[in-house]
Amino acid sequence: MKYAIEAKNLGRVYKTYSKKEGIINSLKGFYNRKYTEKVALKNANLKIEAGKIVGLVGSNGAGKTTLLKILSGLIHPSTGTANVLGYEPWKRDNEFLKQISILLGQKNQLWWDITPLDSYSLLTKIYDLDPVRAKKRVMDLANLLQCEQVLDTQLRRLSLGERMKMEIIGSLLHEPKVLFLDEPTIGLDIVAQNSIRNFLEKYVKEFQPAIILTSHYMDDIAQLADQLLLISQGEIVYDGNVEHFMQTTDLKKKLIYRLKNSTEEKEIVFSSQELTQVLSDLAKAGEVVDLKVEEVDFEDAIHRFLEAESGTR
Amino acid sequence: MKTQFTAFLKRNLALARLGIVTNLEYRFNFIIDAFIQPILSVGIEVLLWIAIFKTVDATGLIGGFGRDSYLAYAVWAPFLGRIAISWMYESMMVEEVVSGSINTILTRPLSFFEYYLSQTLGYKVITTVFSMTVPIAFSLFFDLPVHYERLPAAFILVVYYILLVHTMSFIVSTLGFYLTRVRSFTLLKNLSLMLLGGELVPIDLMPENLSSILLSLPFSSGVYVPLAFITGRGDWDLLYRGFFNISWGLVVAGILSYFLWNRGVREYTGTGA
Repeated sequence: MKYAIEAKNLGRVYKTYSKKEGIINSLKGFYNRKYTEKVALKNANLKIEAGKIVGLVGSNGAGKTTLLKILSGLIHPSTGTANVLGYEPWKRDNEFLKQISILLGQKNQLWWDITPLDSYSLLTKIYDLDPVRAKKRVMDLANLLQCEQVLDTQLRRLSLGERMKMEIIGSLLHEPKVLFLDEPTIGLDIVAQNSIRNFLEKYVKEFQPAIILTSHYMDDIAQLADQLLLISQGEIVYDGNVEHFMQTTDLKKKLIYRLKNSTEEKEIVFSSQELTQVLSDLAKAGEVVDLKVEEVDFEDAIHRFLEAESGTR
Repeated sequence: MKTQFTAFLKRNLALARLGIVTNLEYRFNFIIDAFIQPILSVGIEVLLWIAIFKTVDATGLIGGFGRDSYLAYAVWAPFLGRIAISWMYESMMVEEVVSGSINTILTRPLSFFEYYLSQTLGYKVITTVFSMTVPIAFSLFFDLPVHYERLPAAFILVVYYILLVHTMSFIVSTLGFYLTRVRSFTLLKNLSLMLLGGELVPIDLMPENLSSILLSLPFSSGVYVPLAFITGRGDWDLLYRGFFNISWGLVVAGILSYFLWNRGVREYTGTGA
C-alpha cells in the first residue's frame, strides 16, 4: 500500500543555552556559554493513508509539534527519513509545498490588514490557481462553514472563531493532499468547535486528504481521528485507533466515593477484573456514605495512559 | 517556461500591491515615514549649510560648488535616503525569523526573499510617488540647480540599489536563525549606510583617500551618486560606476546570503509553531 506519509526513525535534538541564575553567571555566560542537548523526538515511525485523520496526542513538550514541523518541512530532522507524497519534506520543493497545508491554531496565516477575500486572491496567485475555480471554492467552503457574511471584513476585525474559519478556508484553497492541523479549535467556544469538527469530518469524506491533527481537546480527537498516535517524551508510545485504545487500556472504570465525616470525593480507577478487590479494600477504608461507578472517558484514559508512560521513563 | 514567468510576475505584482495596501492602511505611519522625517532632516541640513556658507571665503565656494548646490543636495538627500534604506521591512523580516512567523512563508511555494522584495518595492514606489513631490517643489520654487532630465536615470539607479539594500536586509534577517536579538545589527547597518552613502555629507567633501574608497564601494550608489548626478556634481561616468558597484555588491551579498540562509534553515527550530 502506498502511504501519503511515511516516516522511519525520525528524531530531532535541540541544542539549548543553559545558564544558572545571577549576574555572575550572566557575565560568565557572556564569554563561555554552556549548551545542553534536548531530545525532542526519538525514533518516530509512522504510516498514514490518504483520507485518514490521525490524532496526535501528547502533553506539552512531548514532541508532537516537532513531528508536525518535520513532516511539513519546517525543520530538518537530526536522524531518520520521511516521505510525504513522495517528497522529502525539509527540501521544501515547490511541488511538495503546493500539495500540503499547515494550520497553526495560535498563529495567523492570512494577512491581518486585508480582507479574507483579498488574502484568498493573493493565495490564488501564490499557488498559481485558476482564479475562477479558486473563487468558487472559497464560496463553497464559506458556505459549508457558514461564514459568507464576513469574507469582506478585514481579518483583524473578526472574532477568534470567524478568524479560524477564514484560516481554514485559506489552508484548503489549493486543495492540499496533506493537511497538518495544530490546535485548530484552541480558544474557541463549544459552538465554533463543533462547527469546525463537523466541517472537517465532511471535508475528509469528500476530498480524502491525509490529516494530522493535534489538539488538547480530546473531543476533537474522539470525534475525528481514525488513527491515534500517542507521544510521550519524544517517543510514539501508542499507534492504533480510538476504539482499540479504549478496549485495550486497563483503566476502564472509575469508582468515586466519599467516606463518613469527609467532604472530599475520592476516586479509584481500575480494570473490570479488579472490582472485587477494589470493593473489599474500600470496605476496610471506612464507612462509605456515597458511591458511584463510572466508565473512564477517552480524555481521562489518555491522560492516565500518558502519565503512566512518562512515569516509566 | 513562459507560464512559470507569468505566474512569477502575477505573484510578485500581487505582493507589491499588498505592500502598498498595507502601508496606506496605516496613514500616520506612512505620512511620518514619507514626509515628516525627511522634511525634518532637510530643515536641519539646510540650516547647517546656510550657517556654513556665512563663514565662507570671498569665492563663495566650498569644494568648487556654491551655496545653492549644497542646498539642492540638502533638500534631496534625506528623501533619497528614505527610499534607499530599509528600516521597516528589515525589522519585519527580522521579526518573522526570530518569532517563527516565517513558518507561514516556509510552508508556501514562495521564497522569503521574493516575498519581502516585492512588498518593499511596492512600498518604495508609493513612497517615491508621494514624497518626491516635496524636493521637486522646493527645487522649482527656490530655483535650485537640478537637472530634471536626469531624474529617470537616477531613479533607475536607486531602484537597482534597493535590490542590494534588500539583500543586505535579508542577510541581517538570516542572523535571526542564529541569534535571538538582531535589532542592533539593523541599527548598525543603517547608520553605516547613511554615513558611507553620503547622506549626511557629500562624499566629494571628504578627505581624498576616504572619498575614493567610498566611491569604489556600492553604498555610495544609493544617495551620493544619484544625487551628484542630478545636481551636476557628477556626470554619466559616475552613474555607470554606480551601476557597476551595485552589481559586484549584489554578487558578494548574494553569495553571503545564500550561505547564511541555507545554514540557517538547517539550524532553524521553528519557534512559535
